[in-house]
Amino acid sequence: MRKDEAMTDPDRDQQPAPRLRSVVHAMIWATVPVLLLVQLLASAGVEASSFWSRVRQLDARMVRVAESRAELIAEPLWKMRYDQVTGVLNEIMHDETIAAAVYDDTGAAIARVVARPDDQVVEISRPIRYSNGNMAVQAGRIAIAYSRATLYADAGSRLVLLLVVGLLATVATLIAMRISANVFIGRPLAAMMSAIQRSKQDGRAYPADVTSSNEFGQLARAFNAMQHTTSGALDRLGHMATHDPLTGLPNRRSLTERLAVASRDGGSPDTLVAFCFIDLDDFKGINDTFGHEAGDKFLVQISERLRGAVEVEDWVARLGGDEFVVIRPEVSHEQAAHAFAQQVLDAISEPIRLHDKQVVPRASIGLAVRRADDPELSHLPTLADIALYHAKSKAPGTVAVLDEALQRDYRRRRDLELAIPTGFAEGQFEVWYQSQVDLETHEVVSLEALIRWRHPEHGVIGPGEFLPLIERSGNNARLTRYVLTDACRALQRLAAAGRPQIRIAINLPPSELADHSLAAELRATCARFDVAASSLELEITEGSLINNIASASETLHRLRRLGATIALDDFGTGYSSLAHLRRFPLDKVKIDKAFIREIPESAEDKAIVGVIASLAGTLGLTLVAEGIERAEQAEAMRDMGVRFGQGFLYQRPQPLEALLQWLRRQPAVPGRGISESPSIAPEFAA
Amino acid sequence: MTRFLRILLAAGIVCGVIASAGGSLAKPLDIVFVNPGKTGEVYWDMVAQTMQAAGRRLDAHVEVLTSERNYRTMQELGFGVVARPDKPDFLILSNEESAAVPILEAAEAAGVKTLLLSNTLIGEDAARFGPPREKLKTWLGDITTDLQTAGARMANALIGAARAEKWQSPDGKIHILGIGGDEITPASIARNAGLKLAVDAAPDVVVDRLLFANWTQSEAERVTANYLGWASRKEIRPAGIWAGNDPMALGALRAAIAAGLVPGRNIKVVGLNWSEDALREIKAGRLLLTDGGHFLLGGWSIVLLRDYADGCDFAAVSPHVEVKTSAITRDNLASVGDLIRMRAFDRIDFTRFRAKAGRCGQYDFSLDALISSLPLPEGVAD
Repeated sequence: MRKDEAMTDPDRDQQPAPRLRSVVHAMIWATVPVLLLVQLLASAGVEASSFWSRVRQLDARMVRVAESRAELIAEPLWKMRYDQVTGVLNEIMHDETIAAAVYDDTGAAIARVVARPDDQVVEISRPIRYSNGNMAVQAGRIAIAYSRATLYADAGSRLVLLLVVGLLATVATLIAMRISANVFIGRPLAAMMSAIQRSKQDGRAYPADVTSSNEFGQLARAFNAMQHTTSGALDRLGHMATHDPLTGLPNRRSLTERLAVASRDGGSPDTLVAFCFIDLDDFKGINDTFGHEAGDKFLVQISERLRGAVEVEDWVARLGGDEFVVIRPEVSHEQAAHAFAQQVLDAISEPIRLHDKQVVPRASIGLAVRRADDPELSHLPTLADIALYHAKSKAPGTVAVLDEALQRDYRRRRDLELAIPTGFAEGQFEVWYQSQVDLETHEVVSLEALIRWRHPEHGVIGPGEFLPLIERSGNNARLTRYVLTDACRALQRLAAAGRPQIRIAINLPPSELADHSLAAELRATCARFDVAASSLELEITEGSLINNIASASETLHRLRRLGATIALDDFGTGYSSLAHLRRFPLDKVKIDKAFIREIPESAEDKAIVGVIASLAGTLGLTLVAEGIERAEQAEAMRDMGVRFGQGFLYQRPQPLEALLQWLRRQPAVPGRGISESPSIAPEFAA
Repeated sequence: MTRFLRILLAAGIVCGVIASAGGSLAKPLDIVFVNPGKTGEVYWDMVAQTMQAAGRRLDAHVEVLTSERNYRTMQELGFGVVARPDKPDFLILSNEESAAVPILEAAEAAGVKTLLLSNTLIGEDAARFGPPREKLKTWLGDITTDLQTAGARMANALIGAARAEKWQSPDGKIHILGIGGDEITPASIARNAGLKLAVDAAPDVVVDRLLFANWTQSEAERVTANYLGWASRKEIRPAGIWAGNDPMALGALRAAIAAGLVPGRNIKVVGLNWSEDALREIKAGRLLLTDGGHFLLGGWSIVLLRDYADGCDFAAVSPHVEVKTSAITRDNLASVGDLIRMRAFDRIDFTRFRAKAGRCGQYDFSLDALISSLPLPEGVAD
């Protein structure tokens, strides 16, 4: 399409400028006037020369007449037979002759004949000589006046005739030229022009229908050859535009067209269209592990499997990266569609050999089913994507069918995502705090800052729901700074409330660890609120360490140099890498509440927590148990050597004001609070 | 041959002597004349009349056939005569326009004797047939008039008068107009030649033009008028007009009068033919003279044939008989005026003109002889 636009745009610019002037007309205008002029000039020239020759002939004839009459007249004149002279003179009064006169040797007019008066008179005079056996005299002279008027009139009428003939010839030439030019030039040009215009209209290359064997025929054949070449190129371009070069499958653009076709064709209203949105799980890992070439090979194999898994009427496409689409245009009911999606998923999941290694591909499928006559058939990709999102986030490697709940979730998620800027602007984000207590003394040693979103419509929303949205919308840093500022302000309040020993923990999202400016900003914020950086604890997850080990390590070291404490959150659920515990500058490890929930009943959990505790003890890490809800749990932790705890047993997350009130009701234990700090202090110093 | 001729001649002389001595006519003659002229044409009428008058005197019946100036008619008439069962004794023809030659040949074949009158054989015909009685045995000869002398006489009379009057033009010359009848007939050519002859002999005379008026008065009048106009433009004083016959002279007179001239007093005009009108003009003093009398050839031809028939052959002198003409002036007008005016040719005693015995071929056809042949009373009275 863009190519077509690029082609048509200049045309559109040019169109108003030069008015179309037919080459045939131009030829006719160039030749016909010249032809006419030459013809007229030639005729006029021929006629003029003919006219002058006639004039000369007339003159010569009149001279001859005069001389011959002079001979005839000589004797009667000499012999004074003047009646005979007049008679002879009368005989010469023909067309051109106007008047004639004979004068004798005395100059007297002997005879005079006048035919008619005339303006254009030419006069000649010849002597009349008489001789007989013994004398020769000039008896007189003859004068003849004659007119060239007849010649002028004749020449005029012939000129008019020539003009008419010339005009007729020109008209005939004009018609002949028009016809022949149309046949030999206009028609081939029009045929080519028509082919070009048709080509412009739908982007296909049409041949020009010209059969003549002249130059235009050759031109048309060359043009057709070019059109053929262009046609091939256009077809290839079209194929390239609509197909994925790697797998040869239709691409995203084809999908749009396919859906448009499906929407237009409709099909029977009862049939359903099944749309499977397939996303390979951890394709990035395969690329990283085996290289991109192997990744491409992997994708090709997957595409072949997809092709093999579907029927002829089904339609497979690769939208890009590790995303595929399979459409089955006719399914009887939703269960059949689900079965089909599962079948596709099974096909994908067969092991693949890459570099002599067995790899088991995993994929998630979002399935959306709509009636064939659904006016919103073109939304199928979006709907399937919602299901896919659900599958990937909730149950990777499965088929998720789009239902009302998923759609609701999707709409809520989209609403929230769109409301994020407003949330920041209107201060809808609130920081709540939950205390960490010394399990023995029940003294509050620190607070974890937990973000909440007080949405005007959806009420208070937990971080589990909206943090991914924040991250996706690129607002992580903003939120972190928001929380950091709030925490510093809270530290001020705590100090003011006489609890300066209570520290505040902030959760750092993985992206923040890559941000080298974080440490500087943290210091600046602390300085602004006049709080010590050592009053801040920064909680990170193992996942954020994994993604960028070097950068994360760097950031952590900087933060730690400022005096902040680093805590590893949710330990035990992720990689639970012991190496991480050693490699990174950690002060604290928070045991995930999943291990706490079944304690004291679960012996296994108790064993795990025990191991963690002993390891932390060895590494000199402070342990915190999360999610303590019951007193037995607290006791069990204490027994296993876990020093600190956090949970509903002690306090639910609350806004700062409520927490401060709650703290006021708690007896302060200054000595204990201070005595705890030295365990962290050495790390601080380092 | 010579001997034969001599014998013949001697026989003829003998016969003539006998005839003359006898004074009686041997036998009546039957003569046919094919008249080339038109009825009313004065000359030819007079020729025929004198012929018939002479015939009456000389016992010859003269039959006149008129060809009305049509030579074909003339030939047909001639052939008709020749073919007659009772052929005439003599056939008189006039070789005008050489039209008589075929008739001569036919007559030769038929054995009819012929005499040419006024116009004889000329040019090629003359050369072809030679003299009379040689190739054409029946062609006896011819009788013609000496018109050249007539022309010269007329011119000289004109010149003499002009000289006497001193009618020279500014160039010192005497200017004369000549009017000829035509340019081809021997009769015309001879007269014109006479004019030329006379003028050539007179260095002080110029013939401005020799114009041709076709023998007619009206044409002569026209050309004369033209000439007079031309002469006045050329500042020429016209002294005289020479006309080849009387009608033309009369035309010239008219033109001169029309031009304001007074003929006889300041211009002289001469004519030829002895016509009545001419005689009247001479009497009136307007015409200087009229030469002629050749119409008498008709009478003289009968005289010749009578003598021939009677054995006195004119060929004894010459088969060509040439008759001199004479001029009638105011001086001799009285003698012949009536004869001509009245056409009283019967008054002429033609018998007196016959050859005397022993003098065959010797004739005196002069005006004086004519005048003396006329009965006196009438002549005196006129």
